[in-house]
Amino acid sequence: MSDTSSSTLEPLLTFLAYSFSKLESTFYKVPGSAVVARYVKSSHQNDPGRTVLELILVIFAIRTLLQSRTREDKQAKNFIEFSEKEVDELVDEWTPDALVQPLSEWEQRDFSSVPIITGPNGPKPTLQSTGKTVLNLASFNFVGLAGSEHIKEKAIETLRKYGLGSCGPPGFYGTIDVHLDLERAIAKFLGAESSILYSQGFSTISSVIPAFCKRGDIVVADRSVNFAIQKGIQISRSTVRWYDHNDLQSLEDALISVEKERKNRKGPLTRRFIVTEGIFERDGEMVDLPKLIELKLKYKYRLILDESISFGTVGRTGRGLTELYNVPASQIDMLVGSVSNGLCSSGGFCAGTSFVTEHQRINGTSFVFSASMPALLATSASEAISYLQNTPSVLVTLQENIRVIRAVLERTEGITLLGHRASPIIHFCLRSMPQTLTVTPPTPDHDAEERTLQDIVDDALENGVFITRGKHLRNQEMIDSRPTIRIAATAALSKKDVEKAAGIVKASIVRVLGKRR
Amino acid sequence: MPSPIALNPPSPAPSIFKKKKSLGQLSSVAAAASYFSAVHEADARARSHDTSPTSTPPLSLSSSVTGSSEDTVLHESDDNCNGLTYPLTPPTSEQVFNTVHTEFGHCANENYRCISQHNPEIPVTEHEIEEPPYYILITTYISYLVLIVFGHIRDFFGKRFAKQYFTHLMPYDGYAPLNSDFDSFYTRRLKRRMDDCFSHPVTGVAGRTILVYDRYSEDCNYTQVYSGTKTRALNISSYNYLGFAQARGGCADAVEESIKRYGISTCGTRLEGGSNELHVTAEALVARFVGQEDSLISSMGFATNSTFIPALVGKGSLVISDELNHASIRVGVRTSGAQVRMFKHNDMDSLESLLREVISQGQPKSHRPWKKILLLVEGLYSMEGSLVNLPKIIELKKKYKFYLFVDEAHSIGALGPHGRGVCDYFNVPPRSVDVLMGTFTKSFGAAGGYIAGPKSLIDALRVRGHTGMYAEAMSPPVLTQVIASMASIMGVASPPLPTKATLTLSPSSSMSTLRSSEGEVHPGMAPASAIPSWVSLPSFLSDGSEARMRIRRLAFNSRYLHAGLKKLGFITYGHPFSPIVPLLIYNPGKMATFARMMRARQTPIVVVVVAYPATPLVTSRVRFCVSASHTKDDIDTILEACDELGDALDLKHGYGERWPFEEIIKRSVELVNNV
Repeated sequence: MSDTSSSTLEPLLTFLAYSFSKLESTFYKVPGSAVVARYVKSSHQNDPGRTVLELILVIFAIRTLLQSRTREDKQAKNFIEFSEKEVDELVDEWTPDALVQPLSEWEQRDFSSVPIITGPNGPKPTLQSTGKTVLNLASFNFVGLAGSEHIKEKAIETLRKYGLGSCGPPGFYGTIDVHLDLERAIAKFLGAESSILYSQGFSTISSVIPAFCKRGDIVVADRSVNFAIQKGIQISRSTVRWYDHNDLQSLEDALISVEKERKNRKGPLTRRFIVTEGIFERDGEMVDLPKLIELKLKYKYRLILDESISFGTVGRTGRGLTELYNVPASQIDMLVGSVSNGLCSSGGFCAGTSFVTEHQRINGTSFVFSASMPALLATSASEAISYLQNTPSVLVTLQENIRVIRAVLERTEGITLLGHRASPIIHFCLRSMPQTLTVTPPTPDHDAEERTLQDIVDDALENGVFITRGKHLRNQEMIDSRPTIRIAATAALSKKDVEKAAGIVKASIVRVLGKRR
Repeated sequence: MPSPIALNPPSPAPSIFKKKKSLGQLSSVAAAASYFSAVHEADARARSHDTSPTSTPPLSLSSSVTGSSEDTVLHESDDNCNGLTYPLTPPTSEQVFNTVHTEFGHCANENYRCISQHNPEIPVTEHEIEEPPYYILITTYISYLVLIVFGHIRDFFGKRFAKQYFTHLMPYDGYAPLNSDFDSFYTRRLKRRMDDCFSHPVTGVAGRTILVYDRYSEDCNYTQVYSGTKTRALNISSYNYLGFAQARGGCADAVEESIKRYGISTCGTRLEGGSNELHVTAEALVARFVGQEDSLISSMGFATNSTFIPALVGKGSLVISDELNHASIRVGVRTSGAQVRMFKHNDMDSLESLLREVISQGQPKSHRPWKKILLLVEGLYSMEGSLVNLPKIIELKKKYKFYLFVDEAHSIGALGPHGRGVCDYFNVPPRSVDVLMGTFTKSFGAAGGYIAGPKSLIDALRVRGHTGMYAEAMSPPVLTQVIASMASIMGVASPPLPTKATLTLSPSSSMSTLRSSEGEVHPGMAPASAIPSWVSLPSFLSDGSEARMRIRRLAFNSRYLHAGLKKLGFITYGHPFSPIVPLLIYNPGKMATFARMMRARQTPIVVVVVAYPATPLVTSRVRFCVSASHTKDDIDTILEACDELGDALDLKHGYGERWPFEEIIKRSVELVNNV
């Protein structure tokens, strides 16, 4: 019995022995195999357990390598197993909400009251609805560059050389020489080392902030910064500390407490930024730049200053706050401004050291992933800068017009004038409200206030003056600020026209508020 | 007999006649002489090209760059470097060209046309991704390893012995470093080595050819030195699909007129004093073009996604996003606060299983049903050249009730028999897509973007999107370029309707013009009332014939380059009809060399090379962007260059039959029709 079994097994055994020797010889043919074999032998001699352990380690390593990197949600605790049929039922049952909620009655009214201009925009545009010409105190035409014949000529010349679109992002043959010229012109104008051009003003700062502020960095920001800054901070995912609107004492307190916290935690040195606006878009307040810079240097913060409103409108030649306060622009680490507001073109810029700007050329999302600005808008902006440099008198006119408007409105009953006296945007709100911009509970009836203000806007338009409410996405903004009416001063209107316009606004306020009482 | 200089009577600017005449005379009357001298000069120049870029340009008629517009057609000092400035074969007297050859190439052969349309009998299939041989992958990984090791060694010693180069990476005076050396490692140590291939300053029109500034670096790309000379190169890099990047022609004339009439700026945001009648006209035209009820326009393409997606979704909503979606979509989703799930690129099975999972599971933790699910896909993917499987998605949409957002940034204008994008290509009714988004940068030679959809949706976005209140409105010249180029693609219906004197009154009533047109067939012509009366397009533009030719030329060029590269043995990605043709290079070192060698050729070619992080680490590629402005000769030039470089750099790793270069150019039409 045993004999037969051994005889049947014999060919199998010889085959095994043969294949083993064959395997061994091929193994030794592989270069370097001798080393492996020697290693295994010697380690096995010392400690057989170690070989087993090493084998397990190798298997584990292979398993880890082969495992998919992203863990499926299915392994999560919350996952509920459904059969295919149940899934089908759930799919059938599910009814999604509408993609968007229809406009509310107020939104509808607000939207339909937006006037549409026929023909060119400027100090005295024609409205499409009535065909009447109105005095424009709504559009951003601060130094009166809209409709400048010289700029038009320059733009046409550029068009005939460059065409319109740039057809590519700056990295891929979308950097046209006129962009570099404008960047240099802006840097030279401000006295900064270099600057970088973005193709939309709004997207500039919301791209600049996340380019530098990363998770774990500290951002100290004014509570009532504009929406673009809020979005930038949100995308950056940095730790944010808010300080009271335009209150540098509150800023200092925040800076001290951040420093204290860091000392307590003994954390590593992180990047720290102060983010604020030069002239606030929301109410026309102006930041005290020398004091701000003093604080920034004292506590070793970097300063991101949004000069979207102040660039091209304040200072002797329109260089903005740095010129007004006589502070060198190099003191501001990232000076962000708008080409569309002050220079009546389109786009935005960030000025700073070459480290700052070069970093954005790879890390500024809306710079890298967006087509560059059309060439003719860039040359128009360059022309606008040289116009400002050569004609500082327009800024004097602008300031005079601001003074005229403020003088008229200051004497108007029922409203409170906000903002700095040099600010080219003049906000006012209804007087019954508390004096601070941030809301103190109980929440006042902002809806009713907005309606009243819109009545004033509509009434003024009927009487030939175009103004607008300071509009905000109320449920998306961080703070619910007081509704205001925004007047944008312009140097393009004569003093007489400005006086007339301000008078009409005043009359509208009186009329509408009179009806309410 | 029409001469090549003949121009269309309705052309509004008489000065154009003169300009065109001068060019025409040059290219026909004095053709032979100038042609031979040009070729001779080009030869001479090409020989000395690498060493002395300062050779005197022979055909310079006027070297003044910003001179009067009288002679700006030939304002660039230029020689005819292998047919870049003038066609290699002078036009016969029957051929009429309305374009400048450097901007939009002359190509009269009607065989070199093709119609971009999906064949409904063939099901949409995934593109097969070809894999390179293993040694390519291994050497690629080794290249990166060497780069990384050397980078770290240089960082280590640099920080100790050459501190002046590292000031922004090291803490100083109590300030943390401006950017962390870890984050910027890739930029400093890998990208800088090939910085000369990126951000190359250019001048002039980004059309068929482009003028690039010559530059070199003496300090390993830390700084670039400009020699002051320029080189005209064949441009296969700009997003100029239909060739509307032109400084001459009907669109540019309309833009000039608009600058005279409207100025440069609209001075404000749409809702705060920057709304112009041109916005209303352009929005109505865009809606008609894409076949939706209404549309809105934003002044920046990137911002169209990043500022309007948050108005569509929010907390409690789910966004399902293709893994290769553009950065602007990601920024938009991130600011919206909605949950995001990704699915494998263009993989419909992965999408369906994800849909089944998310709908059955509901929101994480609470398991409440999602408020809504928005699927975000692109029509044509900018790095892959792949086309979305729209018919399948529409099918899934019916079953799973998600909302569909298609980003047509690259596909609008470039795909479909009528240039109306992926819907047109697949013959899917555009209104079966909820939100159609696109940009004007690529096919229309303008800037900015649009969103189109039902009126209720668009109105809500106008009021609730960030752009309407906070971002500057689009400027009049850009709007005019959009209107003119779009109208010429659509064609303007010839009998002008009894003038609607008051076109539109307010945003709400503005749509009356649209509503009346709802019954019309979608890819139809634009009524004359839909474009401003002062925009007078020449007849070849207003009847749509020129644009039809452009669309068909683009389709031919795309297919030809795809097929040609395949037959040469390269690995390419993407759909045959896609104007984006990625050619896979893999090794980072070859990538830079490829770009440099292309630029240094006798006919210089500028190409875009893309690598990590825009693509996965190993699949570095060169991305060709074909344009309708390229002639068949141009594509031949590119194929020849690729053929030579492919041999030199060992790039031909594709499977399939290979043809020699000569056979490819001979049998091009057959190749295009049988892909």
